[in-house]
Amino acid sequence: MEELDLLKKDWQKNENKFPRVSEKEIYAMLHKNSTSVVKWIFLISILEFAFFLGLTLLLNDNTSTSSIEEYFNDYMVTGITVIDYGIMIYFFCLFYINYKKITTTDKVQNLMANILKTRKTVSNYIFVKITFIVILLVAIFILYFNNEPEMINTLQLAEAKGRFFIVCIVYFAAVAVSIAVFAGLLWLFYRLLYGLLLKRLKKNYNELKKIDF
Amino acid sequence: MSSELERSFVKQLQENQNLIHKICRIYTDGEDAHKDLFQEITIQLWKAFPQFRGDSKFTTWAYRVGLNTAITLYRKKTKSINTIEFDNKLHKIDQDEYNYEEEEHIKLLYQAVQQLNDIEKALVFMYLEDKDYTEIAETLGISEVNARVKMNRIKGKLKTILNP
Repeated sequence: MEELDLLKKDWQKNENKFPRVSEKEIYAMLHKNSTSVVKWIFLISILEFAFFLGLTLLLNDNTSTSSIEEYFNDYMVTGITVIDYGIMIYFFCLFYINYKKITTTDKVQNLMANILKTRKTVSNYIFVKITFIVILLVAIFILYFNNEPEMINTLQLAEAKGRFFIVCIVYFAAVAVSIAVFAGLLWLFYRLLYGLLLKRLKKNYNELKKIDF
Repeated sequence: MSSELERSFVKQLQENQNLIHKICRIYTDGEDAHKDLFQEITIQLWKAFPQFRGDSKFTTWAYRVGLNTAITLYRKKTKSINTIEFDNKLHKIDQDEYNYEEEEHIKLLYQAVQQLNDIEKALVFMYLEDKDYTEIAETLGISEVNARVKMNRIKGKLKTILNP
């Protein structure tokens, strides 16, 4: 007899050998917390949106950053704010629509695809957001370099000593390195966070894909 | 206080709990993990229950949610150690029908199934449950032909695990 059919015989013979869970125990279970991947992805995604929303609000209100705004005119500040919130609202809607599509009664492959899609939306949001911040930072540093009286003073001093070129290189190298480190750390953080959460799901998804190739 | 919905759910689940136990049997390897997965499937079933319209059987619907939970949503905790003890508990067979050799063979078969990956386990589970390939394919979201091909490969793989 084939191996699996032998197992099938045993499987069906032992139908009722499991310890019974009582109705009372089931009631208790209904009020326990789920540990599902989807729940974690949802919670973390909401935190991410909240984090960047907080960051945006903080940057808009903080008086210490008002000097940054001096370099941009009002028109630009409004433009940046609109783009910033626009990006967030767009991605949040997309995230919500995707999240709603996740149902446990779907086909296994569809469910996996929907979860990964939901996650991808938030990853894209983070990516766009980081790119946006990096572009903004570069713009600010260039404007600072050209407009800040202190900076101009330093540059003039350096020029007098014949070190103008070196100071420029040091300034831009420092700026480039700090931006790269900032972006790199964020990227690494997300890789770790979701790598742990999605490892098994991705593996299973690829396995199904492989079968259906 | 429990609502009408809650009562109806608990009653149906209690009656059909073997189905969930069987999914746990395939996907976990110890008593703690078994209980853990059982609980998670119960929670997911309860969450999805308002969408259950009764136009399909409770069991058919529960298969889907259960498998989805085991394959996709469930996050494994640390492996429990009391595997053998639990295995024996589940395998109490009446003395008169006890057949040592066959019993050992079945045990090895279960251990071989444990070595398969999550997707392969789903296929094996549905095969053991006597589901046809149409339903297996529909549940997993793959084509029937591919489900058949994969099933044959799994049979081969089990043979290799058993007779290396």
